[in-house]
Amino acid sequence: MVSIVRAPVYDQRLYETVRRMVEEHGPEVRGRRVVLKPNLVEFEPESSINTHPLLVHAAFEAFRAMGAASVRIAEGPGHRRNTLDLADAAGYFKTVPCFEDVFTDLNLDDVTRVRPARQFSRLGALYLPNTALGADLLVSMPKMKTHHWVGATLAMKNLFGVVPAGIYGWPKNVLHWAGIHESIADLHAVFPRQFAIVDGIVGMEGNGPIQGTPKRAGVLVAGGDPAAVDATCCRIMRIEPFKIVYLQLASGGESHITERNIRQIGESLSAVATPFELIPEFRWLRMENS
Amino acid sequence: MGKQNRDGGWPYVRGSSWTEPTAYAVMALLAAGETEPAKRGLRWIRATGRPDGGWPPKAGVDQSTWVTALVALLPPEQLGASAHARAIAWLLETTGRESTLTYRLREWLLGNPRPPEQEFPGWPWIPDAAAWVGPTSLAVLALDKEYRRRPLPAIRERIDSGRRFLQARMCREGGWNHGSVRALGYESRPYPETTGMALAALRGIRSPGTERGLAVARRFLGECRSADALNWLRLGLLAHGQLPADYCHPVGVENRTLPDMSLGLLVEAEKGRDFFLA
Repeated sequence: MVSIVRAPVYDQRLYETVRRMVEEHGPEVRGRRVVLKPNLVEFEPESSINTHPLLVHAAFEAFRAMGAASVRIAEGPGHRRNTLDLADAAGYFKTVPCFEDVFTDLNLDDVTRVRPARQFSRLGALYLPNTALGADLLVSMPKMKTHHWVGATLAMKNLFGVVPAGIYGWPKNVLHWAGIHESIADLHAVFPRQFAIVDGIVGMEGNGPIQGTPKRAGVLVAGGDPAAVDATCCRIMRIEPFKIVYLQLASGGESHITERNIRQIGESLSAVATPFELIPEFRWLRMENS
Repeated sequence: MGKQNRDGGWPYVRGSSWTEPTAYAVMALLAAGETEPAKRGLRWIRATGRPDGGWPPKAGVDQSTWVTALVALLPPEQLGASAHARAIAWLLETTGRESTLTYRLREWLLGNPRPPEQEFPGWPWIPDAAAWVGPTSLAVLALDKEYRRRPLPAIRERIDSGRRFLQARMCREGGWNHGSVRALGYESRPYPETTGMALAALRGIRSPGTERGLAVARRFLGECRSADALNWLRLGLLAHGQLPADYCHPVGVENRTLPDMSLGLLVEAEKGRDFFLA
């Protein structure tokens, strides 16, 4: 099931919106450890590059209200080394009370070597942070963005942030050599218990995920199957999900991302569809060109 | 010193010991004359060295990485001559994957032209990945220091090629991003940390490009609010005698990690700067 909810701006109403949205899906979190994984990229609080802190705090409060034993926020940025500085500049310290107490820098967390349940890349076993591996529910909270290597970066691509740069470097270049699409599918397979909440209130179009321009879509998209959530986001962005290689790989036979197989609640796709501008290399991904 | 773990190493913030914070902490303590905790740190570093001569980012990780350059910045008389020599040998043998014979042969067979920026080998964060500005800068600093002790042609050659690597990757507006100067036709923008690191590694190199980099570093110095970035910017500007005489560290910039704090102490003191620029 995937839900689409209108959310025009980042304001206090988000707390109620996100609480209802999560409760509707009813993930089993009572007494469990929940880890929220936003997307932090750059020191630009006013841009659309990072997941908005108000949305992350709204999710934090929602999962706590649902009885989670612990809720942590965790991220391992791929470009900038000083994660706490980055979180500060992105507004997390101001928005989330006692932020440092509830945050884990996944780049510098203790690690365990694991082999994905299904392997698509040449990565083999991978060191991954114990905070993410120990989560009973890993909540991917990306920004809705176009991406200059893979077309779109959403809940699944956001898991690049769990790969510890303390081991693999900034950026996490081994993932590129192993195949970006394949590595995304590998990481998806490592974490079987996921939920996704996509920040599409203001996303990014064009040369994302860093140098693109803000794009207001005014939506939140959520669900327990990240592949289905990502496919729905693609359709909102007017990108053909079947042309996104990592979605094809991870969905295994494409059934997860076929529109008729996704039970969708909330707004209809047609009501919220917002074409995102693509760089010339990716214009063939447009649904109109299918 | 209060952050030192019982095993002798240091964490980034809290928790288990990592090589990077331990190397910086040892340098800062040696510069301050605090020899006992430094000795315990050095023992931890010696014990975590890998059979291939390199160092892992933390104990238990079976891969040598860029942190080997930080170990190589430690004085051989403190680290131990053989451990230090192994670190230098590992650096001399390591390049970005794009510079390996296998990769170049493959690209040649596929008819792919070699991009000009791949002409000179740099250093990767981790073997089997591409070379980047950060690890290349640190490796050049370590080898430059070693060359002053042992002026061997093999060391000179890697220093020179590393510096050319950096010069080829200068952003159009000046300064350095992590890697390529452009991607898919879009210009990359410089970052403060990498700009400071590259300038430190290019000590003694005068060129219009270096001057542009210094101008960008001075601009960043006035804007930036990250301790790590400010440390590297200061070191980069000091390497060229360009740190403004009236520079004042901005109020409210927090040391978030142990490397932030250690590097800050090292940059402040002449003895500390010697670890990078002597």
